[in-house]
Amino acid sequence: MFSNPTNSFRPVLRLWGTLAFRLAAGYTLAGLFLVSLATASLYLVLVSELQKSTDLFLADKVNVLRTMLRERPDDWDALREEIELESAARRYEQFYIRLLDERNKPLLMTPGMAEQLDLLQFASRTQNHPDRAIGMTGRLGRAFRVTSTSAPVGSQAGRTYAIQVAIDVSQKAALLARYRFWFWVILLASFAILPLFGYRIARHGIRPVEEMATTARHISSTNLRERILPEGYPFELASLASTFNQMLDRLEESFERISRFSADIAHDLRTPVNNIRGEAEVALARARSADEYRDVIESCLEEAVRLSDLIGDLLFLARAESPLANLRRERVDVGELLGGVREYYEASAADGGVSLTTAVADEPVIAELDRTLLQRAVGNLVSNALAHTPPGGAVMLGMGLDSSGVDYSDKDSSKPDFSTIRIEVSDTGVGIPAESLPRVFDRFFRVDSSRAQASGGTGLGLAIVQSIMLLHGGKAEISSQPGQGTRVTLRMPTFSTPSCAK
Amino acid sequence: MRSHLLSEVQVGQVMKILVIEDEAKTAKFLQKGLGEAGFVVDVAGDGLDGLHLAQELEFDLVILDVMLPGLDGWQVLSRLREEGRRALVLFLTARDAVHERVRGFDLGADDYLVKPFAFSELLARVRSLLRRGPLREQERLRLADLEIDLLRQRATRAGQRLELTSKEFLLLSLLARRSGEVLSRTLIAEAVWDMNFDSDTNVVDVNVRRLRSKVDDPFPLKLIHTVRGAGYVLESD
Repeated sequence: MFSNPTNSFRPVLRLWGTLAFRLAAGYTLAGLFLVSLATASLYLVLVSELQKSTDLFLADKVNVLRTMLRERPDDWDALREEIELESAARRYEQFYIRLLDERNKPLLMTPGMAEQLDLLQFASRTQNHPDRAIGMTGRLGRAFRVTSTSAPVGSQAGRTYAIQVAIDVSQKAALLARYRFWFWVILLASFAILPLFGYRIARHGIRPVEEMATTARHISSTNLRERILPEGYPFELASLASTFNQMLDRLEESFERISRFSADIAHDLRTPVNNIRGEAEVALARARSADEYRDVIESCLEEAVRLSDLIGDLLFLARAESPLANLRRERVDVGELLGGVREYYEASAADGGVSLTTAVADEPVIAELDRTLLQRAVGNLVSNALAHTPPGGAVMLGMGLDSSGVDYSDKDSSKPDFSTIRIEVSDTGVGIPAESLPRVFDRFFRVDSSRAQASGGTGLGLAIVQSIMLLHGGKAEISSQPGQGTRVTLRMPTFSTPSCAK
Repeated sequence: MRSHLLSEVQVGQVMKILVIEDEAKTAKFLQKGLGEAGFVVDVAGDGLDGLHLAQELEFDLVILDVMLPGLDGWQVLSRLREEGRRALVLFLTARDAVHERVRGFDLGADDYLVKPFAFSELLARVRSLLRRGPLREQERLRLADLEIDLLRQRATRAGQRLELTSKEFLLLSLLARRSGEVLSRTLIAEAVWDMNFDSDTNVVDVNVRRLRSKVDDPFPLKLIHTVRGAGYVLESD
């Protein structure tokens, strides 16, 4: 039976795991504690009040007898009346009085006192506490309060009698016993009722959470539309619900991006393959001249190149997203790099009647970057800018350092400088409509799909720029005024020390 | 290509190349293309056959695919190197993660190429691997009536000085130094402008067009030729 004690704990442990159980247990414990505290303190007050009233009664009696002994020591009738008869007339709360002289010889005694009380014990126990009431159990098991005192007899000093008074408090003891009984009844009832109430309150409190969980269970990649209605919830849970809804918005958005991406990728991969297949098929349908064959093969080659460029770009993006992607950082003079890019695109710009200029800082800016990737990022931007700028316009390449409070004049500083390098490519081109701006860094996003397709881009250029920036721990940002121009700003940390610049 | 067929024979020996490639079409076009470029080419369809062939016959160069049935490319390479075979090895791989390249070089590969590749690129790499030793750097290049003085950075056609920018001169001398070879746009961008990425290669087209307007347009004999889908070549036929 005790071979596997952990088995019997398992359901409890599982219950303890539920929030409702914990809350209910907490409510129950707190409730029991409060009920116990209240009844126990009431009981203590009751005990002390009852005792006090008994003790006042005793003191009153003693006082009456003392007065009588002092004022009228020889009026034995009055004393007998007081001691023997008055008590006998009472049915409840009977009291007993004994009067002793100096030599402890009893003078007067309430009848039945010797049967009720052990008089020797009475004397010895009250001896240590003169003038104070103490509790005592009588011969028949009844509870008593007893006191004894000495009283001077007559007006001249010398003679003193001893007064012993006892009062039967068994009625009050019974009252307290009933009280204790009800105390336990209330406690047990609380113990039975509180968990039920606590559990109901807890369940009511966490029901919104369960509703959210139910909603969450319904959500899958195919059903991202469901939302939690934030009305009717308490404030804390309403904010949780809206946070949850925002997360769902973002998820839905990125799922949409992915499915758009898949659709785009299918289109962009199928088109060249389709061209190759169709052209080859048509060419082979009947005999043709060598020139015709050459034309078809050349066209196929062009499509194949387009396809492999696309694959290269896609692989680049996929690799850049992998956490294992690593950069080949080297010391790069950013101004020189921009100059190189400008040189590369100079002829194209001149061809399109666009001026291409660089504004480079006087001091060389050296940063540890992946040269090839940065060339590619800036190259993509310049190529885009040139493609969208009409003749007579201008494309500007600019750069600068956004220092983070580092003093560059301090040439002795050997501390690494984590300032931000900024590269800007701006044009006076057609611009981008505001509603398209948030999506320009998306894969395959084209502001004007028909035209971009014709210009031969894969639609991945800006996505690649952004992923190159992310790889460098930076970010690409775009701003545009339709009809006036576009500016793309690249920001990334330099990871270099300006004092080492050669 | 004819001129190169000659040049390969002129060296006095025919270079032998082993292609280990399981994809039949790839193997076929490699054999055809390299054969037409003047090399003797043998093909093996899997790693084991390839290893046997490489062990029994002497090859100057092994073109090795990484993903092979039987033995994969890494294993073939390490076996060859264990046996002390010094044949040059050029890797072909569809995977271009950096650590894979490093692994290839660690095992003793001499070069690698990522699929899909331009055949002209492969041919250029094969030639530069087989050339062995430093290139004879010439001071003057000559093709038909085009003359390039590399030292003084001057080019003339029919004795007439061509006014070229420095990049145009670099482009022309690159084409001339490797005349007869089709140079891809990517290769040109890399060699002339140090742009190591394959995007927007029509920039090269613009520059070639500008070069043409100075080198070819005033003269009846055209030297710069476009090979559609592949690149540019300088030749005098």
